[in-house]
Amino acid sequence: MRDKGLETKLRLLTLQLDNWKKLHDFITYGLDKAKPIISAEQERQFTEVRADLLQETAYAFNALSILSELSGKAMNVLQRASSIRGVRDLTNDEIRRLEAEWNGVFTKLGVVQGQLKANRKQLASQTIIRYFLGRFLRRPATAH
Amino acid sequence: MVTAVVETRLLVLNADPVFQDEALAILDSIDRIETPRVVRTLSEAIATLIEENFDAILIENGAAIAVEQAVNVRQHFPSLKVACLTPDRGAADSVAMAEQQDITLILRQQRRGFPRKLKNFVHSLERPAASPSEGIDPCHSLIGNLNQFSAAEILQMSCLSQRSGRFTFKSGRGNSEIYLQQGSVRHAVFGSLEGELAVAEIFRWRQGRFYFEEGIISQEQTVNRPWAHLLIDNLQKLDETLELVSV
Repeated sequence: MRDKGLETKLRLLTLQLDNWKKLHDFITYGLDKAKPIISAEQERQFTEVRADLLQETAYAFNALSILSELSGKAMNVLQRASSIRGVRDLTNDEIRRLEAEWNGVFTKLGVVQGQLKANRKQLASQTIIRYFLGRFLRRPATAH
Repeated sequence: MVTAVVETRLLVLNADPVFQDEALAILDSIDRIETPRVVRTLSEAIATLIEENFDAILIENGAAIAVEQAVNVRQHFPSLKVACLTPDRGAADSVAMAEQQDITLILRQQRRGFPRKLKNFVHSLERPAASPSEGIDPCHSLIGNLNQFSAAEILQMSCLSQRSGRFTFKSGRGNSEIYLQQGSVRHAVFGSLEGELAVAEIFRWRQGRFYFEEGIISQEQTVNRPWAHLLIDNLQKLDETLELVSV
């Protein structure tokens, strides 16, 4: 059995995780002093990823019921990482904070993805009749 | 006997998959498909198609842009099923181009028709699972994996040594055959594709197995150009595909 709502949540989560990974790749590149050249094309791609995250994060987090928990951290990361060059110019403290907050967002998203995948796996082994029968039988009796 | 069906793999090219998700929501409700892979740009789509096998690509955009992107994909992946999901039919030349390139146009504005047409398209991609016993005979004169030797390398070697026979390539995409005669390609077939289009398709395969059977000659002739020309053209096309990835 397939749950449409669950699939939609998983899709949103996968898109979010993809973009947070891409953002991390760019941040890592920016922080690596051994890679001196930051091209205009890289900055354009970075801005593209950041723009997608800025417009989609609140909507996706809300749909996943993690808005209150993650929106602050996510906004801090997106505001601090304004460009690849900007990331390179951050102080050590700011870099540490940026990485910690990115890690907070990524970890939570990964955990939620795992939970949703587990739900999907469980659902896949059920038929529609068994699913509704299970829900019906589990319903608590009303007190009089 | 019940025939096992392989889950359909779809790649969706959608620049705004979070807010323009009507088609994705329909795909979510279809059984027997893997969760569709979503990419936002054409270059990402090309890179993904090079890496992995998909049964079809769905391109969501305005008619003109979607058809242009679809034509681009078609040129680089001749056997791939391509569908454009557009809000309207677009200009006559876009429709003509789509028909000419075997690109399916599905209109998003038809409230009831859209989900049905999209589901029909997806169901048309279903294919039976390949039998595991379908294998390789130890008497074949040359056997190998495409991740170790590319089709171009194998064919180059066989053509240089003036071989005659049949190459069979087996991958997740299906089986294809290339017939050689005295060191030149005489006939190639992959599904409904024949001739140079089939050769171009096999050139892109990076996974799968192949074997060569000496002495099997095709009566049909669908390839008329010398091997060297085919090789140069296809390698050039491959370079163009890789250039698109780096855009």
